[in-house]
Amino acid sequence: MRVLPSSVGAAAGAIALIVLLGSPPARTDATTPSDATNTESSAPLPKAQARFLSSTGVSEALGALRAPIEAGVGAESRADAAQILTIGIPHEFYFSRVAYSGFGGFYGRGGSWRTDYPRADEIFLSFIDRLLPNLDAYLSEFVVFLDDPDLRRFPFLYALEVGRMALRPAEIEGLRGYLLQGGFLVIDDFWGTREWANFEYEIQQVLPGYEIEDLPIDHNIFTTFYEIDEVIQVPNIGIRNCTAFSQADLSRCPTWERDGFIPMVKGIHDEKGRLMVIINWNTDLGDAWEWADDPYYPFVYSKYAYEMGVNFIVYAMSH
Amino acid sequence: MDTIFEFLFKYRLLLFQEGDFTFASPWPVLLVLGGVAVVTLPALLTYRAARGASSRWDRGVMAALRLGLVAILVFILFRPTLILTSVVPQRNFVGILIDDSQSMRITDQDGVARSDFVQATFGSEGSELLTALEEKFTLRFFRFSRDASRLNDMADLSYSGTATNLGNAMVRAQEELAGVPISGLVVFSDGADNSGEVLAESLLPLQAAGIPVYTVGLGEEELTPDVQISRVEMPRTVLAGTSLVVDVIVSHRGYSGRTVQLVVEDTGLLLASEDVTFERDGEPVVVRVRIQAQDAGPRLLRFRVSIQPGERVTENNVRDVLVNVVSDAEKILYFEGEPRWEVKFLRRAVSEDENLQVVLLQRTAEGKFLRLDVDNAEELAAGFPKTREELFRYRALILGSVEASFFTHDQLDMIADFVSRRGGGLLFLGGRNAFAEGGYQGTRLAEVLPVFLDDELSSGVGPYFDELFITPTRAGLTHPATQLGADNSEAVVERWEALPSVTTLNPITRLKPGATSLLTGGTEEDRERQVVLAFHRYGRGKVVVLPIQDSWIWQMHADIPLEDQTHETFWRQLLRWLTDGVPEQVGAQTERELVEPGQPVNILVEVGDSAYAAVNNANVVAVVRDPSGDSMTITLEWDVEQDGQYGGRFLTTSPGLYEVSILASRGGDTIGTAVTYVEAAPSADEYFDASMRGTTLRRIADQTGGLFYTPENVATLAEDISFTGAGVTLTEERDLWDMPILLFLVLGLMAGEWGYRRKRSLI
Repeated sequence: MRVLPSSVGAAAGAIALIVLLGSPPARTDATTPSDATNTESSAPLPKAQARFLSSTGVSEALGALRAPIEAGVGAESRADAAQILTIGIPHEFYFSRVAYSGFGGFYGRGGSWRTDYPRADEIFLSFIDRLLPNLDAYLSEFVVFLDDPDLRRFPFLYALEVGRMALRPAEIEGLRGYLLQGGFLVIDDFWGTREWANFEYEIQQVLPGYEIEDLPIDHNIFTTFYEIDEVIQVPNIGIRNCTAFSQADLSRCPTWERDGFIPMVKGIHDEKGRLMVIINWNTDLGDAWEWADDPYYPFVYSKYAYEMGVNFIVYAMSH
Repeated sequence: MDTIFEFLFKYRLLLFQEGDFTFASPWPVLLVLGGVAVVTLPALLTYRAARGASSRWDRGVMAALRLGLVAILVFILFRPTLILTSVVPQRNFVGILIDDSQSMRITDQDGVARSDFVQATFGSEGSELLTALEEKFTLRFFRFSRDASRLNDMADLSYSGTATNLGNAMVRAQEELAGVPISGLVVFSDGADNSGEVLAESLLPLQAAGIPVYTVGLGEEELTPDVQISRVEMPRTVLAGTSLVVDVIVSHRGYSGRTVQLVVEDTGLLLASEDVTFERDGEPVVVRVRIQAQDAGPRLLRFRVSIQPGERVTENNVRDVLVNVVSDAEKILYFEGEPRWEVKFLRRAVSEDENLQVVLLQRTAEGKFLRLDVDNAEELAAGFPKTREELFRYRALILGSVEASFFTHDQLDMIADFVSRRGGGLLFLGGRNAFAEGGYQGTRLAEVLPVFLDDELSSGVGPYFDELFITPTRAGLTHPATQLGADNSEAVVERWEALPSVTTLNPITRLKPGATSLLTGGTEEDRERQVVLAFHRYGRGKVVVLPIQDSWIWQMHADIPLEDQTHETFWRQLLRWLTDGVPEQVGAQTERELVEPGQPVNILVEVGDSAYAAVNNANVVAVVRDPSGDSMTITLEWDVEQDGQYGGRFLTTSPGLYEVSILASRGGDTIGTAVTYVEAAPSADEYFDASMRGTTLRRIADQTGGLFYTPENVATLAEDISFTGAGVTLTEERDLWDMPILLFLVLGLMAGEWGYRRKRSLI
C-alpha cells in the first residue's frame, strides 16, 4: 500500500511537482508521484506495519497487532498517513484523498490533488467527529493512489481540482475496478467548461459508456442525514477578502471562478442504478471545510459544505 | 430338535410349557414311601455287608446307580401326569388375517412370491394346515392392507393394497368376531407395516381380551441384493432461488463397493446428480445433494437411483417428494448502531434478490436514524420497535454494532421473544459494540446466543483485534448457508480458504452445548481458533452469530475479480437460511404431502395473533381445490388439547394436486392466510423396507400370548392353538409314565451298573 504521509509530503510534493512540470512523460514515466512516494514513504516504516498495508502481508503484521493495543487515540490521530492502518486497530472510515496524476501546478504547492491538503482534511475530520460521533473515523488526513491494489480497502475517495487530472492507464484501470466493485468517489472544486471538459474526458476513460447525470434535489443523497433543499455555490477562501470589507453583504461578493457560474451536483450510476461518483462542479466544498474556523469565511457556505460532506459519507456507507 | 424331544418325552415341548405337571398316584404317599423304604434299606445293607473285592468307592457308585433305578420306578409308580387345557373342537373361532398388500407380490430368494404360500395353504386345493385348522376351529377369513375386511373367497385377494396396517387389521378382526368364543387370530403377512401408527396401542384390546395372535412371517428378513432410497429429508416449503442441501438416505444390501448414480428430477428436468459409493454391506449412505429451488409453486421432485443388475425390488429405487416453492419477500430488519461499510455491501449483496427485503434502521448519530427500504413512512419512524407487534412483523432480525445499553429491558426481552416465541431468525454481527464488547454479558440476549461471551480474550486491558483466515467446519461443508455456490464439499473448502482474510473485534471461541459451528477462523495455518459462524435453535427460532466486522472485504479485496459473486452468494444464502422455516401467524400443513387417491388428508393449522400468542377462538376455514378445479370448504375445529391448533380432514378423490387455502379470522378481522398442497398419487410405499419384519411379528405374538411361525414350522399351528388359545376349553390329563425317556433311563442305569461291575471285576 502506498500512502503519503504528511511528514514526507513535502518530499512527495516536490517529486510530484517535478513530474508535473515534465508533464508529457507523466503517464508512462516510472518516477510518477505514486511510485516515487512508495519508495519514500515505506522505507522508514517499521517492517510489520508496512506490510499490514499490503494485500498479501496482513497476517505478518498481526504479531504486533493481536495483543490488545495500548497506543492512544491521541497519538494515532496525529500519526502519519502511512501509519493509519498499523498503529492501533484499523478504523471503519478513512477520508481518502486521491493523489492522481495530473498536469500543471497550483501555487507552487505541488500537484493539483494536494489543493487544501492537509488542512482541509484535518478540519473536516475534526468536525465529522462531532457531527457523526458514532462513526469510527480515522481523524487525520490520508492519501491513496488509484493504481494501488489496496485502494479497494477504502471505499470512500475524495478528489478535487480534477480539471488538471491526467490519469495514467494503471490509474484508469484501478479506479474503474474500484468503482464497479462498489467504491464511492466524491469530486469537488473544479470550475468552468474547460475543466469540465478535462474531467469528462478522464472519467470517460475510466467509465466508458456511463452517463453523467444531474442529480435532482430529491435524490437521497440530499436527505440521507441533513435535509438539503438547494444546491448552492460555495466559493473559495478568496471571498474572505470581499466579506471582510462588505460587512457580510454576501450578494456583493462573487462566488464563481472562471466561467463556472452555476453550481451543479452530478452523478454517475452503475448498471444497477447505484451511485458510484458524485460530482460537485462549480463549487468548492473543500475550502468551506478548510476555512470553517475563519471568522471571515461565511458560515452559510461552511454549513452547506459540511452538511453535504456528512451526507456523502452516510450515503456512501449505506447505499 | 423338536422331533427328538417329542420322541423322548412323548409330547412336544410346547405342551410341557402350557400344561401343569402333577402326580396322579392311586396310593397314599406314605404307603409308597414305606414300600420304598422296605426295598431300599435291605438293598443298602446288602451292599454294605457284601464286601468281597470291592472298595468303598465301588460300593458307593453301585449303590447310587441302584438307588437311581429305584427312584425312577418310584416316579413311575406315582403316575406322573400332564394336565392340559385345550380348546373344545369346533366350538371356537379362529380369525385368519391375510396380508393383501403389494409387498406380498415380492419374490424372495427361493423364487416364490410371498402370496404363493397363502394360495397354497388356503387355495381351492386345500392343505394339511387348513384341514387341521378346520378340524378344530371355525375359521373366519379377513384380508387387510390399509383397511381390513371379511374375505369370503380366496380369489378376492388381489395383493394390490398400497399400505399395510397390521394394528387396524387385528382390531377390526376382533370387532368382527365379538360375541363368539375366539381362540386366536392368525396373521399371514410380511409384517411390513407402514401405517405409521403405534402398534402397541392396537395390541391393548387384544391383550385385555386375552386373545393370542399367531403370526406367520412370509418372506425373507433380508432382501439381498437390493438398493433403496430410504428417506429424503428436505423442507416442505422453500423460498424460490434457494440452494438446498438435501439429505438422501440410500440403503443397500449386497452391493458393497459399487458406485451408483442418484439423480433428482423436477418433472423430467434434471436438477442434480450425485455418485454414491456403497461401503459396508447393509450400511445406509447419507448423500448430500445440492439443488436449487427454481420456479415458484408446488413441485414434485423425484429422487432416483438407477436399477442395478439382479435387484430384488426395483420399485424402491424411486422416491417422490412434494415441495412448495414460494416466492414471498422475506422481510428482515437490520438494525445497525453506526455508519459501517457492512451496511452498504450487505444491502448491495441482497438487493437483487426479490425474495429478500432487508429493511435498514441505522443509527447515524445519537437519536438520528436512517431508514431504508421501509414499506411506508410510518414504519420504524420511532426507531427500533417498542412493541412485540411491531417487531414480530419481521421474519428475521440482524443486530449490528449496537451496544446493549441502547435497548430497554423490555426491548431485550422482546428480541429474545422474537426468537423463542415468534420463531424468527436472529443474526448477531461482529463489531466494536457487539457481543461482550457491546456489554451484552449478563443481559437476556446473552442467554439467547449460541456462544459464551465470557471469553478470556475479551477481558484484556484494551480492545481486541484479530485477523481471520476462514475455513468451514465439518457441518459447514454441507450446510446451505456456507456453500458459496460450490457443487461438492471439496469445492466448499477450496472456496472458503481462497477468500481474503477478514478481521474481528470480538473474541469468541466457546460454543454453548447444542450449538453448531459452521465456519471458524484463525491464522492461515490454524484456522480453527475462533468461531466465525455458529447457530443454535432457541425456542421456536434460531440464533446465528457472525462475529466478524468486514465481510465486505470479500467484495472489495484486490484479489476478488469484478464478476465474482462470492459475497453476494454468501449473504443471500445466509439470509435465506435465516428466514427459512420461520412461522407465520397462520401456519398450515397436511399430515402427509403425498397420499393415495381416495385417502383422507388431515389438515393441521396453527393460529397466533400479531404477538404470536396462540388464538383459540378463531374461525378457521380451509378451501380445498381438487385437480379438476372444484372447490370445497371445510371448517376446521380447535384441537382442545393444543392451544392455537386447529384440525380438519377432507377426502381425496381423483389423483392430482390438491391446493388447501386456509383463512383464519376472529370477530370478522382476518388473522392470516396460508396455502399448502397435497399430491394424490398411487404410492409405492409397499416396496420400501419390504423385507419380512420378523421382529415386529414376534413382538405381536409375544405380547398377546401367541406364537411366531415361518412357513417351515407352521404345520403345528392348529395343535398349538388348541393348547395355547383362548375360547371354550376343556381340561385333559396326559400320562407321562410311559415316556420313552424313562425306559431309556432304567435301561441305562441297569447297563451302567453291570458295566461298572465288569470293569471292576466285581462279577
